[in-house]
Amino acid sequence: MARVLINIPKEARKGEVIEIKVLISHPMESGQRRTDSGQVIPRKIINKFVCTWNGDEVLSVDLFPAIAANPFLSFFAVADVSGTISMTWVDDDGATQTELASITVT
Amino acid sequence: MMKLLVLAVVVSMGAVGFAAEPPPGATTCSGCHGPSFMPVNGRASADLSSGMEAFRSGERPSTVMGRLMKGFSPAEIQAIAVWIAEQK
Amino acid sequence: MLGRRSVLAMPFLARAAFAQAAARVLVIGGGFGGASAARALRRTDPNVDVTLVESSPVFTSCPFSNEVIVGLREIGQQRFGYQGITAAGIHMVQGTAVSVDPPTRRVTLNDGSVLGYDRLILSPGIDIAYDALPGYSEAAAEVLPHAWKAGDQTLLLRRQLEAMPDGGSVVISAPANPFRCPPGPYERASLIAYYLKTNKPKSKLLLLDAKDTFSKQKLFMSAWAKLYPGLLEWVSLSDGGKVVRVDASTRSFETEFGSHKADVGNVIPPQRAGRIAVVAGVTDKTGWCPIDPVSFESRLVPGIHVIGDAAVAGAMPKSAFAANAQAKACALAVVRMLGGAAPVEPRLVNTCYSLVAPDYGISVAGVYRPVNGLLTDIEGAGGTSPIDAPPETRALEAEYANAWFKTLTSDVFA
Ligand SMILES: Cc1cc2nc3c(=O)[nH]c(=O)nc-3n(C[C@H](O)[C@H](O)[C@H](O)COP(=O)(O)OP(=O)(O)OC[C@H]3O[C@@H](n4cnc5c(N)ncnc54)[C@H](O)[C@@H]3O)c2cc1C
Ligand code: HEC
Repeated sequence: MARVLINIPKEARKGEVIEIKVLISHPMESGQRRTDSGQVIPRKIINKFVCTWNGDEVLSVDLFPAIAANPFLSFFAVADVSGTISMTWVDDDGATQTELASITVT
Repeated sequence: MMKLLVLAVVVSMGAVGFAAEPPPGATTCSGCHGPSFMPVNGRASADLSSGMEAFRSGERPSTVMGRLMKGFSPAEIQAIAVWIAEQK
Repeated sequence: MLGRRSVLAMPFLARAAFAQAAARVLVIGGGFGGASAARALRRTDPNVDVTLVESSPVFTSCPFSNEVIVGLREIGQQRFGYQGITAAGIHMVQGTAVSVDPPTRRVTLNDGSVLGYDRLILSPGIDIAYDALPGYSEAAAEVLPHAWKAGDQTLLLRRQLEAMPDGGSVVISAPANPFRCPPGPYERASLIAYYLKTNKPKSKLLLLDAKDTFSKQKLFMSAWAKLYPGLLEWVSLSDGGKVVRVDASTRSFETEFGSHKADVGNVIPPQRAGRIAVVAGVTDKTGWCPIDPVSFESRLVPGIHVIGDAAVAGAMPKSAFAANAQAKACALAVVRMLGGAAPVEPRLVNTCYSLVAPDYGISVAGVYRPVNGLLTDIEGAGGTSPIDAPPETRALEAEYANAWFKTLTSDVFA
């Protein structure tokens, strides 16, 4: 599966705004390019990303072909309760990849 | 008045002896070639152009000259050779 | 009508014959671009009155300064005086240009003196964009040198490397495009790896990059795998290599995904055109100067030409070679324009040599012409040294790199 980089603080105070940064290695092939011999290179992109906190949705985004390779997302969330932050990427071919991070909120 | 102007131009040309304007690309050679490295100025234009052509076609192997000469047409190479041959 | 046409056909002569006072061209910046332009102007038309304004009494060359950092050269070999320029009949003014007034075509220097011009050529090189990298500043650069302007910074980085014990960790950060000398960070990493391998083999070098691809990448990476395995690690943008903050007090480099502490840290920071270009109004929102690729005249302010690193030169990289080539083309255009004639489309060339080790040279070359208002690569020409070349070829290119430096610096300064 694709390599993922994640930056989420391990601890936060209740009510603190934390930044979540994720980067997935992916070619994001747009479906618009052609090979040297003129054949269209089939589209293959990450089309969806969802982040949840103990099952509650923090962010859900649809991604489009114009997004560059290795999409990098950075967003904010309010630290509420300790638990698990889950991140899922969905590929055009149906494959999904989920990564988990735990956070302690005091 | 018109005649006078033209006369002035001619006199000025004789007095300062402007060099012919270099053809496109000709001034870039001196970025590498000079008294201390494979001097090219003043060499016979036929030698220069045949050397440059040989680099361009790959007939003469090179580290960098082949890559550079591929950016010029035979006519451009010829013009550069003529100009370089006149330089001191 | 006829007379007018005949004059236009001989633009150099037209001005010499009609103008009472010689045309004045003022050049700001006596580096590779500016000094070359001043000389090329005199060579093209000895009647032009050329003045070169430069802040420093001696020029210190960046090309080959990476060799100084690792003790393969001395800084004295990088320094060039302006005697040759003066001897070529150029008025040399030591001072810093602080303002430009395009409507009256006048430039003011830091000592208050004012110089007029008919045409102005700017070649101020780069400024470090301190504000574009949180934590970096002039003070921080005394701890984490950039060494991207040669001189004291070069020597500072050298001393730090020399003082570092074996087993230390060196961290270099490379910026996003565009910046001065695209292969420069990778040549520097190579030569520092060479220094460490030779002198401090237990040390490590980490190269954090804000890019996924770079100049001569295949050549550098195959050479690194062969020469410096396990010693030099390159972290690309997609591997989280982009540095977002530095901290001089702890010598650390913070990326989006982690933090790296260095014993010796070298920040190659974001850059922009030299300050005087901003003051003159020739920079756009990118911080660089858009130009007409035929004459190098600014697209924003008529009468001002911009060459070298400060200019947006399309496919041409920001190199000393390119600055010299642009200077010569610009000088021809300026002389023609002074004579009332249209400039002729130039053909430009660039070659950048890099040393991966003292006897291992590689190069990238390009030939360029204006297409749709931008300098564009001529297809089929240029490109890099072959990936599979034998050691003799690498040694030969290292030799040619040295020869190039000698020739170029004498072309400009001798
Ligand atoms: C480590 C390193 C290695 C490099 N290696 C190579 C290489 O191998 N090959 C290569 O081709 N290029 C190389 N370069 C790139 C090269 O140094 C630059 O591209 C080149 O110097 C650009 O020339 P320039 O005229 O634009 O600027 P510069 O050469 O920097 O000249 C600018 C000059 O303007 C002066 N100045 C600025 N503002 C003012 C003002 N307001 N008033 C008066 N004077 C002013 C400055 O003092 C300076 O002397 C390297 C760069 C670095 C950092
Ligand atoms: C980047 C540096 C560079 C530039 C620019 C350059 N040359 Fe060369 N030239 C070389 C090198 C290096 C060689 C040796 C062959 C090789 O390995 O490429 C050479 C060889 C030559 C030779 C053969 C010399 C001999 O004595 O056999 C000629 C002729 C020549 N160049 C002409 C030119 C001309 C004309 C130009 C300008 C249009 C030019 N060169 C531009 C680097 C350069």
